[in-house]
Amino acid sequence: MRSRFNIVLFVSALSALAAAAQPGAVQTPSVTVLGAQEVRGILGRDVRSTANENMGRIVDVLVDGAGRVRAAVIDFGGFLGVGSRKIAVDWKALHFVPEAGKQYAVVLELTRDQVKPAPEYKEDKPIVVLGASGNLETLP
Amino acid sequence: MTENCTPSPPRPSQRSLRRLDWFVFLVADVQTGFGPFIAVYLTTQKWTQVEIGLVMTVAGLVSLAGQMPGGALVDAARSERTVAAVAVSMIALSALVYALFPIFPAVLAAAILHAAASCVLGPSIAAISLGLVGHARIGERFGRNARFAAIGSGLSAAAMGAFGYFFSAQSVFLVTAALLAPTLLVLRGMAADEINPDRAHGNAPNQKSDRSPAALLGLLNNRSLKVFGACILLFHLANAAMLPLMGSVLTMRSSQWATVLIGACIVGPQLVVALFSPWVGRQAEHLGRRPLLIAGFAALPVRGLLFATVTDPYLLVVVQLLDGLTAAVFSVMVPLTVADLTRGTGRFNLVQGTIGTMMGVGASLSPTLAGYLSDTFGSPAAFLGLAATAAVGLVTVWLLMPETRPAKPTGG
Repeated sequence: MRSRFNIVLFVSALSALAAAAQPGAVQTPSVTVLGAQEVRGILGRDVRSTANENMGRIVDVLVDGAGRVRAAVIDFGGFLGVGSRKIAVDWKALHFVPEAGKQYAVVLELTRDQVKPAPEYKEDKPIVVLGASGNLETLP
Repeated sequence: MTENCTPSPPRPSQRSLRRLDWFVFLVADVQTGFGPFIAVYLTTQKWTQVEIGLVMTVAGLVSLAGQMPGGALVDAARSERTVAAVAVSMIALSALVYALFPIFPAVLAAAILHAAASCVLGPSIAAISLGLVGHARIGERFGRNARFAAIGSGLSAAAMGAFGYFFSAQSVFLVTAALLAPTLLVLRGMAADEINPDRAHGNAPNQKSDRSPAALLGLLNNRSLKVFGACILLFHLANAAMLPLMGSVLTMRSSQWATVLIGACIVGPQLVVALFSPWVGRQAEHLGRRPLLIAGFAALPVRGLLFATVTDPYLLVVVQLLDGLTAAVFSVMVPLTVADLTRGTGRFNLVQGTIGTMMGVGASLSPTLAGYLSDTFGSPAAFLGLAATAAVGLVTVWLLMPETRPAKPTGG
C-alpha cells in the first residue's frame, strides 16, 4: 500500500521533471545497468570498525537540501535491543570495502571508544555528527 | 456440570504442579524474543524507523486495550487449559510470521496477534494456578511461578542473545516458534479435572458454578482495588524506563564490556527473583502482604537514587540487582493481592486485566517521562525524577493500602 503510493509519487515526480527539462519533446529516460554486487541498499547493513568491532547497523541516512549525503545514523550497542542508541556519523567516515566474491563491507573509521560518548540522534534536535578526526570528551 | 460443594481443600497432583512449573518456564522463554528485540530484528530486515515505530505503537495500544477483555475471556472460559493453549499457539504463529514474512502488513498483523494473545495468556497462567491450588496456597504457588518465569526469561535472554549474535536475528524467532511444541506438551500433561474453573475465576470452592459473578462496577469501585491500581501505575511509571535508561548510560561509559554488562543487568535480577520469590510467596502468608509490598516498593527509589549518583559501570550492575528484589515482590504480590480482593467474586481475571491496564499505562508513559527529563536535564535528573515518582508510590502504599490477607486462613 505504502510502497505503491511511493512509486506513484516517484513516477509523477519523474514525469514532472521530464516535462520541465524537455518542453514539447517526449524522451525515453536513460537506462543504466548496475551489477547486483556493485550497488546495494544500505538500510540495515552491519557496520564494523577498522579494528573489526561491531559498530551496529545503519538505520537511516541524512541528506541535506542540495542532495548531498551528510551522515549515516547507526544503531549502536545494546543487548537484545536494550541500551542501544542511534548515533549520527559523518558519511565521509564510512568506507565501503570490496570483499572477494561478496557484497562490500561497511567500515567506520571510528572505534567503539570514540563512538560511545556521542549524544543520541534525535530528529528534531540539532544533530551532532561524529567525524573521523578528533575525539569527543566523555560526558560526565 | 462442575460442582464442588465439598469444602475440602483441592488436592492437585504433583504431576500437574510440575507441569505448571515447566509451562511458566516455557512461556517466559517464548515471550523473551518479543519486546525491544523486535526493533533490532526489523532493522536487520531493512525496515525504516517510521515503520518500526508504527508497529510498536499499534502493538502497545492493543496490549493496553486488550487487558480487560482478555481477563474477561479467561473468566468466561470453562477450560483455562484450552485458552492458554490457543494463546500460546497464536504467539508461536506470530513469531513464525516475524521470521518468515518480515513485510509490513504481515508483521503488523503478527504484532497485533501477539499483543492480543499475551493479554489472555498472562491471566490464564494465574487462573490455572488458582484453579489448581485454591486461595489457601496460592501465595506459595505464585512465588513458585515467579521463580520459574525468572529462570525462563533469564536463561532465554542469554540463549537468544547468543542466537542473535552467532546466527541471525531471524533465528531468535524461529527458536521461539519451535518452543510451541514442548509448551503444548507440558500443558497437555496437566490434569484438566484438577483445574477447577470456579476456583480459577476466584469463586469460593463451595459455590455452585452457575452462580453469576459479582457486579463489575461495584467491584471496580472497591477502595483497596483503586489504591492498589494507582500504586501499580506509579510503580511502572517509575520502573519501566529505568533499565533502558541505565543501559544507554552504560553504553556511554563502557565500550568493550557494554553489551555483556547490559546482558548481566537483564539476567542478574532474574537470578535474584528466582532465589527470593518462593520465600516472598511463603512470607506473604505469615507476615502479610503489606510489609512485603512496602519493602519491594522501597527498593525502587533507592535504585533510582543510586543510578543517579553511581558512575562505575560495574557498580551499576550491582545496583541493578535491587531490581530483582522489587520484581520478586511484585511478581508475587500483584496476582496475590488481586486474588485476595476478588475472593468469591468470580472476576479474578477481569480484575487482573484491570491492574494489567494500570501497569501498561504506567509502563508506556515511563519512557516519555524519562526521555523528557534526560533530554532536558541529563540522565542523573531523569533517575531522580523516576525515584521521586517511586517515592510517591511508596508513600501511597504506606498510608493508603490496607492489608489484604484474609483475617483467618480458611480451609478452601
